Amino acid sequence: MSLFIQRMFDGLAEGSIYALLALALVVVFRSTGQLNFAQGEIGMLCAFFASTLTLSGIPVWLAILIAMAIGFVIAALIERVVVRPIEERNPGAVIVALIGVFLAVNQLSAMFWGVDARSLPSLFPTDADSFFRIGGAAIRYERVGIIGVLAVMLVLLYLLFNKTKIGLAMRAVANNQESSNLVGIRVGNILILGWGLAGAIGALAALMLAPSAALSGTLMLGPFLLASVAAVLGGLDSPVGAVIGGILIGLLKAFLIGYVDFLADMLFPVMLVVLLAVLLFRPSGLFGTEKVVRV
Amino acid sequence: MSNNIERSDNVATPTVAEDGDPTPAAEAVKASAASGLPKRTPQYSGLHWIGRAAVFVIPLAYVYLRVLGNTGVVGEGWSNAGLGLLADAIIIAIAVMGVNLITGFTGQLSIGHAAFFALGAYTGLALTDGRVATPFFGEDNIWTAGWTIPVAAVLCFVIGCVVGLPALRLKGIYLALTTLVFVEATRSVLKYQEFEGVTGGSTGIKGDKYTPPPWAEAIGLDGRGDLNEWFIYLSLALLLLIMLLVAGLLRSRIGRSMIATRDNELAAEVMGVNLSVVKSVVFGLSGAITGVGGALFGLKLGLVNGDVPLFGLIGAVTLLVAMVVGGAAQVWGPLVGAVFYVFVNERARSVGAAPGDFDVDFQILLVITVAVIVIFVGRYVAKNLERIKTNTSNEALRAAAIVVGSLILIYVLQGMLLGIGSGRKLDGLGGVVFGVLLVLFARFAPFGAVGSFRLARNRIVQVVPKPPIGATVVPLPPSTERPEAGSAHDDEAEADSSNAAGHVDDQTSPSS
Repeated sequence: MSLFIQRMFDGLAEGSIYALLALALVVVFRSTGQLNFAQGEIGMLCAFFASTLTLSGIPVWLAILIAMAIGFVIAALIERVVVRPIEERNPGAVIVALIGVFLAVNQLSAMFWGVDARSLPSLFPTDADSFFRIGGAAIRYERVGIIGVLAVMLVLLYLLFNKTKIGLAMRAVANNQESSNLVGIRVGNILILGWGLAGAIGALAALMLAPSAALSGTLMLGPFLLASVAAVLGGLDSPVGAVIGGILIGLLKAFLIGYVDFLADMLFPVMLVVLLAVLLFRPSGLFGTEKVVRV
Repeated sequence: MSNNIERSDNVATPTVAEDGDPTPAAEAVKASAASGLPKRTPQYSGLHWIGRAAVFVIPLAYVYLRVLGNTGVVGEGWSNAGLGLLADAIIIAIAVMGVNLITGFTGQLSIGHAAFFALGAYTGLALTDGRVATPFFGEDNIWTAGWTIPVAAVLCFVIGCVVGLPALRLKGIYLALTTLVFVEATRSVLKYQEFEGVTGGSTGIKGDKYTPPPWAEAIGLDGRGDLNEWFIYLSLALLLLIMLLVAGLLRSRIGRSMIATRDNELAAEVMGVNLSVVKSVVFGLSGAITGVGGALFGLKLGLVNGDVPLFGLIGAVTLLVAMVVGGAAQVWGPLVGAVFYVFVNERARSVGAAPGDFDVDFQILLVITVAVIVIFVGRYVAKNLERIKTNTSNEALRAAAIVVGSLILIYVLQGMLLGIGSGRKLDGLGGVVFGVLLVLFARFAPFGAVGSFRLARNRIVQVVPKPPIGATVVPLPPSTERPEAGSAHDDEAEADSSNAAGHVDDQTSPSS
């Protein structure tokens, strides 16, 4: 039983990271209808920035905030410089361009920081004895902290989307760009804001993941794929779905590794099955909006 | 050879414009304005031709003068290293032919072909390696290398057809994502410890490099050390064979169906194209072609394991880069793209190894950057003179953004210089260059180098932008956002969405 609780918390903490990343993907998808293939890599780059900042003596929390701001700027730039000009002329090429951004950003880290793995200090205590017990299971504060970060982020996003005028504008743009334009919303600025916001959230996911993993160019490759599966599972246009999908994927991973020996190394084949099952039998995901199209 | 192919694009498109759009023209125009789709067919001026030809000529000139010069290929005859690179380029060209078949000609963006590449490589070595193959075939029946290539092709064809079946219903980002996960899934399976007897598990297979058969030595094509002429001729012969096959396929019924599927799925289906058969067979064929490339790759390397970069996500993107740079939907594109990729990658890897080595390249880069900025600023000012006068604060903000962006760019370039100054190798340079190139090509030259060159010679007719039926996607009212119980509803929605996707993504064709 204690092992079960332990694994559940592991899964929840890891799932929270996927949920954050999936949330970022959903925010982008809602505003532009694209899957931002570079989402994970932007976060990875921000983690490198944060690592450099902490090395120069800046406290961790401040480094994290600065790195999130950098993530905001990078993602906003990508929207303005890459996505929009291409979408205007050749919408089908946006995926290709985003994959190009994925490659470039991924390799930028190797260019600036080399290929050796680095470390990023955690925001939460990581000493050997910084844990508490529930039902015999040792739960590390770091894991609870990550879950807490997700919760705080969710509350903030909820407030932003539902209680502010900008949030209203963002929802309007996600719903119908043409009409939003007609009622005087500056659609372009809202799109930049949406991408920037996603960049910051994605950076936060990477910053939460980096302390417990080696910070290298491959940091976000796996998590990005898992988060994408999570976002599709939850419904690519549903923030609630992204969170639930992320946590489901996190739990699935923890229990798969914990309980199903022969599948422990077969995470991605399982993910492929999950992804295909969702896309074939319920393309809108668990919580997504089903689209009706006039032919 | 290819005139026919392009003409078929040309023929298919007006059909699309007339039959594919049931909405009145006025509505289509309105929708097109709203969704930001191109409103008119671009007309190409003389300057444009020159620009597009330059896309083709500048990289090749650069490769010839700087890259081949530096890797010792040009000037002193072919060096060992140069021949190895040439073999790499041919192998990757074969692999990219496969990607091009499904992505360029059929319009289904696959990033997953690195998986077929890996499968082919594993097949090649698993059948020739004594340790792995002996339990299956007995000591005396180890395969000779040449025969593993068709086996790899057949295996990849079967797997490709199976993967292609579900991929039928996926489009755009969903297909791209699924194929990306497919790469990682395949890698996991290949590294899986339980399959150690077949794949060597996490250590992979260390086999023998390709040795030429006796008759090849008899006609003088023996291997000289690393420099294996026989292998290069074999690869080249396979590449030419595949190019012929693809060119022929494109003129066949199935090839026409592929192009029709790419240009407008709904119209193709209405005209009698069996989408499921075409897509899954073509996916299988493209997997088989990439598998042949993979088998050659494995036999050249003599060593495969799950950590070979080309088998993973980076490899997946690599194949896409070579395809897009060379030219999607161009028979010659993969060869040009693969040569460009391999040699520029090699050049990028050696940058920074010796101080001052990058100076000339940096100056070329700087000149091009400045020229591009000047051209764009000039065009922008000329176009928006009125707006700049009336809306000064906004334009000032924009100018500030450009200045900040340029500063970041200069910082990046400076960082590159500093890296060279300290003698540190710039590990990711090649990747960064290719990533940026992918973006630039997607924006400015969606037909790639070969396509742009032929566009400049007016041998390709620009595919007319299709009516943006996808723009009429109407989400259900907010009250129905939650999933509703009842299977009938689901079926209906599924049917609708499968119809819809055909339109939403039919813009993919010329570029991806």
